[in-house]
Amino acid sequence: MNKQIVNKIQHFVTPIRLRIFFLSLALLLAGFFLYLDIAVRAQFEGKRWALPARVYARPLELYPGMKLRPEQLLLELSMLGYRSAGSQLEPGSYRQSDASFTIMTRPFIFWDGAQGALELHAEFEADRLRNLQNLTNPGNTAIPVRLDPQYIGGIYPAHNEDRVLVRLTEVPPLLIQGLIAIEDRKFYSHHGIDPRGIARAVLSILRGGGVQGGSTVTQQLVKNFFLTPERTLRRKITEILMAQLLELHYSKEEILEAYLNEIYLGQDGNRAIHGFGLASLFYFNRPVSRLGLNEIALLTGLIKGPSYYDPRRHPARALSRRNLVLQEMTQQQVITQQQLISARSAPLDVVDHAPVGTSIYPAFVELVHRQLRSDYRETDLRSEGLLIFTTLDPLAQFTAERALTSRLGQLEKSRKIVPNALDGAVVVTHSQNGEVQALVGGRDTRYEGFNRALDAQRPIGSLLKPVIYLSALEQPYAYTLATLLDDSPLVWRERGAPDWEPRNYDKTFHGKVPLYSALANSYNVSAARLGLSLGVRKVMDNVQRLGIDRNLNAFASSLLGADGLSPFEVAQLYQPLASGGFRLPLRSIREVLTADGQPLQRFSLSVQQVIDPGPAFLTTAALQYVVREGTADGLSRYLPPDLQIAGKTGTTNDLRDSWFAGYTGDRLAVVWIGRDDNQPINMTGASGAMTVWGDMMAKLDPEPLQPPQPDNIELAWTDPANGLKADENCQNAKLLPFIRGSVPTETSPCVSQAPSEPIKSWFKRLFE
Amino acid sequence: MEKIRARSVLLTLCVLSGCAGFPGREPGITPVSGNDAVVSLVNAAQSNISDGKYDAAAATLERALRLEPRNPALWHQLAKLRMQQGQYQQAEGLAARSNGWSVNNKTLQAENWRLIGESRLKRGDYPGAQAAFDKAAEQAN
Repeated sequence: MNKQIVNKIQHFVTPIRLRIFFLSLALLLAGFFLYLDIAVRAQFEGKRWALPARVYARPLELYPGMKLRPEQLLLELSMLGYRSAGSQLEPGSYRQSDASFTIMTRPFIFWDGAQGALELHAEFEADRLRNLQNLTNPGNTAIPVRLDPQYIGGIYPAHNEDRVLVRLTEVPPLLIQGLIAIEDRKFYSHHGIDPRGIARAVLSILRGGGVQGGSTVTQQLVKNFFLTPERTLRRKITEILMAQLLELHYSKEEILEAYLNEIYLGQDGNRAIHGFGLASLFYFNRPVSRLGLNEIALLTGLIKGPSYYDPRRHPARALSRRNLVLQEMTQQQVITQQQLISARSAPLDVVDHAPVGTSIYPAFVELVHRQLRSDYRETDLRSEGLLIFTTLDPLAQFTAERALTSRLGQLEKSRKIVPNALDGAVVVTHSQNGEVQALVGGRDTRYEGFNRALDAQRPIGSLLKPVIYLSALEQPYAYTLATLLDDSPLVWRERGAPDWEPRNYDKTFHGKVPLYSALANSYNVSAARLGLSLGVRKVMDNVQRLGIDRNLNAFASSLLGADGLSPFEVAQLYQPLASGGFRLPLRSIREVLTADGQPLQRFSLSVQQVIDPGPAFLTTAALQYVVREGTADGLSRYLPPDLQIAGKTGTTNDLRDSWFAGYTGDRLAVVWIGRDDNQPINMTGASGAMTVWGDMMAKLDPEPLQPPQPDNIELAWTDPANGLKADENCQNAKLLPFIRGSVPTETSPCVSQAPSEPIKSWFKRLFE
Repeated sequence: MEKIRARSVLLTLCVLSGCAGFPGREPGITPVSGNDAVVSLVNAAQSNISDGKYDAAAATLERALRLEPRNPALWHQLAKLRMQQGQYQQAEGLAARSNGWSVNNKTLQAENWRLIGESRLKRGDYPGAQAAFDKAAEQAN
């Protein structure tokens, strides 16, 4: 019987049949290889080429004599991830002794060319950088040098928003060495697989333990590409083949870079955290380039089991895993014993709450994205790897965030408001060139959702008044700062609308008030009457002329700010006042470069005169009275009066919104506080938003506001009681600026014959 | 350093006398800035212009303006550059901005008004140009 079968087989297996069999097997295998090859390459190329646009803050310019305090430089250096070094400086490190610093900058490609690593010596005196020497290039001391700009986020491919791509060059070498030490010691010598590892795996299968361990970095990368957790022999064989194919096509560096961006390192709800770029933000809220040794070790340790070693849920496990990694790194001489000791004693350093988005400044990056959209296709922004250089001043941003969050907490506490009920927004711009220096979109500054600075359109209340007064002051023969306005009861009847009876905040009427004082005290009735006599349409047209490019209502109530504007729009509205009459589009972008550093586009400074210098000067003078003796006089608790700040408080019906907009010689800032559900917050502009503004501006060392006096402006004494010409001896007389020819001609009865000691007004002092 | 100083003096002469020049007027000698960093940026911009790199020059002048936003000579330089580039409306805005900061500098004001006049001419605004040239003459007297 058995012999028969053997005979049959012998008969069947002829040499030709055998050959055909092996040939088809070879063909089948070749086809399978080809299929694997195509699949693995498609995955790899796809991952490699979708590069997000990378967004950078402004570089800090350093030059002798500049206004900068040592602690500001320290903050900038720490945000940039510069390390305090001992004797040997390397790019990205510094040494400090009291008020002098030695810094080795990182090389960087700017819009106008590359700047190599420079060794700088900086000496401070009080709040100035007294001396700056370029030790690398001693002959070239005058040109201001730039620190490399802070990376502030990217614009990511839509389906990939949970990844922050990193380049191999920006990953700290220790991370790579550590990774290789822990995961794949022979990475640089093997061809994708480690035979000994495989043998171990086979042994484990034979023992009935399933397929596990023994994966090289390349194999792990393949596994991550296809994301199936099944552990079968077939899977393992495919993985081994694909790993070898990858090694055939790509260099070790390319594979390592892909691995660093691909590896799974944690879970945030249904968002999978892939890659070291996102993981370092997710766990430590810093870019990967700024990770310290203890953090590197923790992340490296997580590869083995991101969920099991989750440092937020299982800190003890994570700590011992981290220390094990450190131990291993020491044994393999990646780090020294000393480094081991200091890193092992460091805490986990994990931030309590993972930043939700992918940028540290999501509100600002969103503005950048919107401004880019008008010039670039969305797909290009998300895949071409453009380099975007922006106007963000991280020092201003930091200060603005701190001021808003800490002040909101205090306000809630002192006013017994439910914690976290209040929210707010801040916009800071350079008053002279329209660059946006800071943008805070809400109290949770890392939150990538609702951007109140750009999208919360809330009634602006009295913030609109300067436009009414400007419209009046543009008619110098009808209105001056001294003109008496009527603040008696007003009823406005319009067909088809209910009667409108504006009231003042203090619920009284003030009779005749000089124009500057009506604005300073933010009287509603006199402002409404003035606006109505000028024409609501005209006032609202001027709002558009100043910079709000959209249709606005022109109801009587619009004069008192019933219509909504976003904080960003308010900043745009006030920009021409802050810059002496020039409309400067608020810009968040300076330059765009291609991925390889070639200049692509510049967003240049653009100015357009929209207000004559005279009326612009007068409006600023009136806004300075708001701070000096009006609704914003409380600002003196934060900032000295000699800064001559101009500003305006804004409060809306039932105290739902609290606004403050104001400017110094170099910065314009707008603050809004309110609730997302639009419930009353029982705060005026002065008791809410202004306190944030004051806190913030005090830390920003503003320049005093000293607008140049236009040729057609003259100063004259006036009597506020009657708006007539006075002299310095009159009681309460004010020295006010007028457009030449508009000074009141009639003399007030207060002018007496007897001269006495002249009282210099603050305004006169301003011009002496 | 000496070289930079010399260049900056030359450059300043050029700015204040308007390069194209108002014949018969003595130019004042004031440095473009007391800040060496600004001076060197202006010099860099000037060599960019000589090389025909107008965009780079504009970027450099804007950089200088960030350090000294109230320096009318810098605004004027940028206005002149925009004029050269054919951006006439921008040239006018920048020259007006320069005027805002040069209250006590009649020479520079006259220069700015002349630039504004030329910009208006290029845009076909003849009455506006005339008015600007009149202002220039007024300042120059």
